[in-house]
Amino acid sequence: MNNIIEVRELNKTYKDKTAVDSIDFDVKEGEIFGFLGPNGAGKSTTINMICTMLAPTSGSITINGFDGNKDRRDVRKSIGIIFQENTLDEKLTAKENLMLHCRFYNVPRSKRKERIQEVLMIVDLVDEKENRVETFSGGMKRRLEIARGLLHYPKVLFLDEPTVGLDPQTRAHIWEYILRLKEKEGITMFLTTHYLDEAEISDRIAIMDHGKIIAMDSPENLKNTLGGDIIELSTQDNEKAMLEIQAKAPEAEVTSKEDIIYLKVASSDAFISEFIKNLEVPLTRLNIRKPTLNDVFLSFTGRNIASTEPDKQ
Amino acid sequence: MEGIFAIWIRDMTRFFRDRARLIGSFSMPILFLLIFGGGMGGTMESLIGSSMPDAGEDFQYLQFVFPGIVSMTLLMTSIFSSLSIIEDKNFGYMKEILVSPISRVSIAVGKVLSASTIATFQGIMLFLLIPFLGINYSLTSLLLVIPFMFLLACALSSFGLLIASFLRSTQGFQLIVQILVMPMIFLSGALFPINNMPGWMDVVVKLNPVTYGVDVMKKIMIDVESLSPMIRDAMGLNLQLFGTTLTVAMEIAFIFTFTVILILFATLSFRRANA
Ligand SMILES: Nc1ncnc2c1ncn2[C@@H]1O[C@H](COP(=O)(O)OP(=O)(O)OP(=O)(O)O)[C@@H](O)[C@H]1O
Ligand SMILES: [Mg+2]
Repeated sequence: MNNIIEVRELNKTYKDKTAVDSIDFDVKEGEIFGFLGPNGAGKSTTINMICTMLAPTSGSITINGFDGNKDRRDVRKSIGIIFQENTLDEKLTAKENLMLHCRFYNVPRSKRKERIQEVLMIVDLVDEKENRVETFSGGMKRRLEIARGLLHYPKVLFLDEPTVGLDPQTRAHIWEYILRLKEKEGITMFLTTHYLDEAEISDRIAIMDHGKIIAMDSPENLKNTLGGDIIELSTQDNEKAMLEIQAKAPEAEVTSKEDIIYLKVASSDAFISEFIKNLEVPLTRLNIRKPTLNDVFLSFTGRNIASTEPDKQ
Repeated sequence: MEGIFAIWIRDMTRFFRDRARLIGSFSMPILFLLIFGGGMGGTMESLIGSSMPDAGEDFQYLQFVFPGIVSMTLLMTSIFSSLSIIEDKNFGYMKEILVSPISRVSIAVGKVLSASTIATFQGIMLFLLIPFLGINYSLTSLLLVIPFMFLLACALSSFGLLIASFLRSTQGFQLIVQILVMPMIFLSGALFPINNMPGWMDVVVKLNPVTYGVDVMKKIMIDVESLSPMIRDAMGLNLQLFGTTLTVAMEIAFIFTFTVILILFATLSFRRANA
């Protein structure tokens, strides 16, 4: 597959702060590419640079064959973006917002009505088209923005935290629309999120932290690189239990957070039958699971994504 | 072209939808009309009447000040409307515009045109008050003055856009109004004659482009020829620059040039701020 986006040694420095630190990556045509990282990782800064909204301090960006620095207009024609913050005109109706977008992107006059109807159908807002956006709920506004981003048939659709601030049900809906789009239109999608479960829908994920990409692969591969299973356990005396585990089973990787001990082992079956059974400190809790993206983030940074994320709702 | 039209039609839709703004924008000119028509008008008339016993009979001060109040409305509305571009920045819609392929020049021109249209519309709305004020202008002069109002509004909107491209928030807004807009009105002859000003003030008056706008408005709307020279003089209708009395044609040519230069600067400045 062709690369639709190529980013090389991209840097962005604000006065005293490096927001994006020399990153390289490619996005392939037709894939869903996800940026996962905690607040302040540099996700939006990267997206804004790719979308020509922010000048890079250094580095090069190529989109759809166009140079992000020189051919801004061609780049702009090739992309659609749903910014992290709301960019609808709330005084106008849904239809008026979409019509303006058609004009900005020179959608052929004869096709406008049809396209507007089409994108409204994708996001289930046909019945709301004559209403002013200020009367919409947060989820409806987000859906309208997604519809708007699709109007001019962009080659790449950027979605910067498309579900931030929405309730879980609405979030699930938005993802349904996004997946539906990918199936129907085959559009390349570039999304950012700091919700782990949402990142899973990507074909490939770049995990970002402090302006750097620390890992990049499919969600499966990322989790497989950790290998084995994760055992979470709590005991009546965690300190004592950890010492005992380290002495008796040096092959297990042991970490602890709050009152839970995490063990990473090659095979949980063997480990449980041979070791846990014989643990001297009494167990209060036991859970066995496959690694998640959070474990991947944890293994690279020593922190949980979840613990760095303030509750946005 | 389509891009310019898009920017324009959006502002038009928003303007006519915003009743509060529509009504609010009339409060200021109506207040001034009340002051000059009622209170100050009488004082002015008796002042002039007593100095010119033979000419002061049918002299109406309101007749002179009305074109000035229309100009004032043009100035305020033009500048405030083009400053709305800062509001767009704060509410995020500017991003939707800037990330689209329309050229920065189209954005700037569209903004200037929409602000000018709104300002001209407000000015024309004031015409509706003419019958109630007991003054009269010929229909032809009113029709003739409209294109000029639009030209003047274009110059002033460009000026507003130029200011806007240096402002980050609407906070600097009040300041701009106080240090720029108000003096531009008071030192333009819009509200009272600008004769016999102290030297330095006279320089400011002559440098103020609004002065020439107001002068043209008055000369088109008021039948200057039929006025006695004394009234003409008392009302400051003999605007001179370097000893020559300015003709309407000269002033229009000047305003036109000024408009073109301002649009150019505003566009360049907007483009520089939003590459
Ligand atoms: N205009 C700016 N001036 C100075 N620093 C900035 C500016 N914009 C962003 N930053 C800094 O750059 C870093 C990256 O910010 P960015 O918005 O890209 O993060 P993010 O990954 O999108 O986070 P979030 O999940 O909160 O959206 C942050 O530390 C932020 O403080
Ligand atoms: Mg962000």
